[in-house]
Amino acid sequence: MKVDMRLQGKRLVYRFEDWLAAVRRIDRTQIVIIIGLTLLSAFMLLPLVYLFNHAFKPLHELLLFPPTFIVNEPTMQNFTDLMALTQTTFIPVSRYIFNSVIVTVLATAGMVFTGSLCAYPLSKHKFPGGNWFFGAIMVSLLFATEVISIPRYVVVQSLGIMNTYLGHVLPMIALPVGVFLLKQFMDQVPNELLEAAKIDGASEVKIFLRIVLPLVTPAMATITIIAFQTAWGNAETSTLFMQDDAMKTLPFYMGTLTSNLANSVARQGAAAAGALIMFLPSLIIFLIYQRKFIATMAHSGIK
Amino acid sequence: MAKILFNHVYKRYGKYKEVAVNDFNLQVEDGEFLVFVGPSGCGKSTTLRMLAGLEDISGGEIYIGDTVVNDFSPKDRDISMVFQNYALYPNLSVYENIAFGLRLRKLPKHEIDLSVKRAARVLEIENFLERKPRELSGGQRQRVALGRAIVRKPQAFLYDEPLSNLDARLRVQMRSEIISLHKKMGVTSIYVTHDQVEAMTMGDRVVVMNKGVILQVDTPERLYNRPNNIFVANFIGNPPMNFIPGKLQEGSGGLEFHTNRFALLLTKQHAGQLRKQNLIDKTVILGIRPEHISFEENEIGGNPQSLISGVLEFGEFVGSDRYYHLKIGMESLLIARAHPKYHFNDGMKVTAAIDMEKALFYHKETENLLTD
Repeated sequence: MKVDMRLQGKRLVYRFEDWLAAVRRIDRTQIVIIIGLTLLSAFMLLPLVYLFNHAFKPLHELLLFPPTFIVNEPTMQNFTDLMALTQTTFIPVSRYIFNSVIVTVLATAGMVFTGSLCAYPLSKHKFPGGNWFFGAIMVSLLFATEVISIPRYVVVQSLGIMNTYLGHVLPMIALPVGVFLLKQFMDQVPNELLEAAKIDGASEVKIFLRIVLPLVTPAMATITIIAFQTAWGNAETSTLFMQDDAMKTLPFYMGTLTSNLANSVARQGAAAAGALIMFLPSLIIFLIYQRKFIATMAHSGIK
Repeated sequence: MAKILFNHVYKRYGKYKEVAVNDFNLQVEDGEFLVFVGPSGCGKSTTLRMLAGLEDISGGEIYIGDTVVNDFSPKDRDISMVFQNYALYPNLSVYENIAFGLRLRKLPKHEIDLSVKRAARVLEIENFLERKPRELSGGQRQRVALGRAIVRKPQAFLYDEPLSNLDARLRVQMRSEIISLHKKMGVTSIYVTHDQVEAMTMGDRVVVMNKGVILQVDTPERLYNRPNNIFVANFIGNPPMNFIPGKLQEGSGGLEFHTNRFALLLTKQHAGQLRKQNLIDKTVILGIRPEHISFEENEIGGNPQSLISGVLEFGEFVGSDRYYHLKIGMESLLIARAHPKYHFNDGMKVTAAIDMEKALFYHKETENLLTD
């Protein structure tokens, strides 16, 4: 398509004028609020800045007291350390990363898939006991993971899926928050749309895939983020169900890097590098979906 | 295209099995444009939704053509429906919205394209085919919804209050467009509305419903001139019909209708019919439309036994007419339609003549029509 440069230019001018008009309308309280919020968000950003800088600090800067925020002599040493560290052991760190990626992809897909399949009938099909069922799902939100880890262990053990990827994925696959969010979103989809689709000749599957799912994409994006976070940061399944070291994931390995050692001073550099590796995918996923994520939060009234 | 038949159809709702539609019997002729009208909650939408297959039928049978469709799913009934809130798929373009049903039926691509474009041309939405529904105005959205309905060439069109979300001017315009569309396609149509003006102007026949029961099925003319009962008389027409309770008594010139304030002489025909039903000295309700009350001098001079005098409460000027609300010593005011040339001041004493030929008499308890 040909782009009309003059029109584009004009639009830019209009946008600037709109912005100026908005700026002119700002009153004193708003200025205070804007400055306050800006400072607050800068403060919120500090851990991220620290995380990024920390990963590139050489050893002498890492253990500096008082600690510095900004790295003086950036180095890749920590990352090489992290890679080298595991060459002396059985399992290279790349294996943990690989496991993590596999588990995260499978678990995220599984959580989103089952979550949406579960939410649709709860929202759009009235059946006896439906509310009770939804209530039960909500109650399951209240249990701390520690409470259910023993029954979980029994289940995983008797299913015979210890030391398999399924052993990672299956315990995570039910995501009550996801069901809740998706149900709230699907409730907003007008019934007339589904009825129109039915009259148009659509089957339940077609209605679900072509009408309902596209309309709840913001919620789907949000759940993708939540599911990703849960799966990517999850060390529990590695701790409990994986005796084979080759099946454990990165978060578990990160934990062993520092906390298993008595004084927690050694391998600080490798740990900092690992922390950044752990954090980056979350950031990327969030940046991709952030617009929709924020839309969901505005919609659902959940902070 | 097909006949539609409702045979003793019932709908019961909820825990207590409240009856929403009660013994609904109706035959819709092939190619007819039938309107269901009634106040909200009267069961008109429920009936339509049962026909569409969106609600279960609690009792009776519904036929489309010669087939009982009670247990058919909506997609197998070969009908299409237009909803009040348009129900366009927001994630699909206008083109895809119209094509949705055809794609599900796995029609060849070129055929879909041809049908969609033809429907778009008829409805003058060719320029919006690539847009999303949210980029359209209310009227345009309703056209798309119509396009989605006509493109499938169904046995019947069902309209569920399709114009209620439009502004007044657009509603009038779309009303005539739907009618001309119906004339062109000749498909059996059932149209649900709570707006009596829509019902009167659009329907070949109109079904007036209240509390799940059919009160009258008739042409708009018959419905207006000879409403079967007080509810229909009150519901159809704006401003509504006047109702005056009074006693029937034999007078010197014939049967008279007496209130505490005035007496009106009945026509011979009415008198005969009422006498036959043994209603002498009983209370009945007289119904008279505002336009059958006149301020014309020759009529007021004509028959002194058809006059009502009252005090003018207020007048409403609506352009071609003027409506006067008169206090005649009854609970409710008497509304009379007059030519705008008559200009009375509020509080004036006026005399109006009632056209007793046009008067209707209703039973006090059953509220049914007593005269022809």
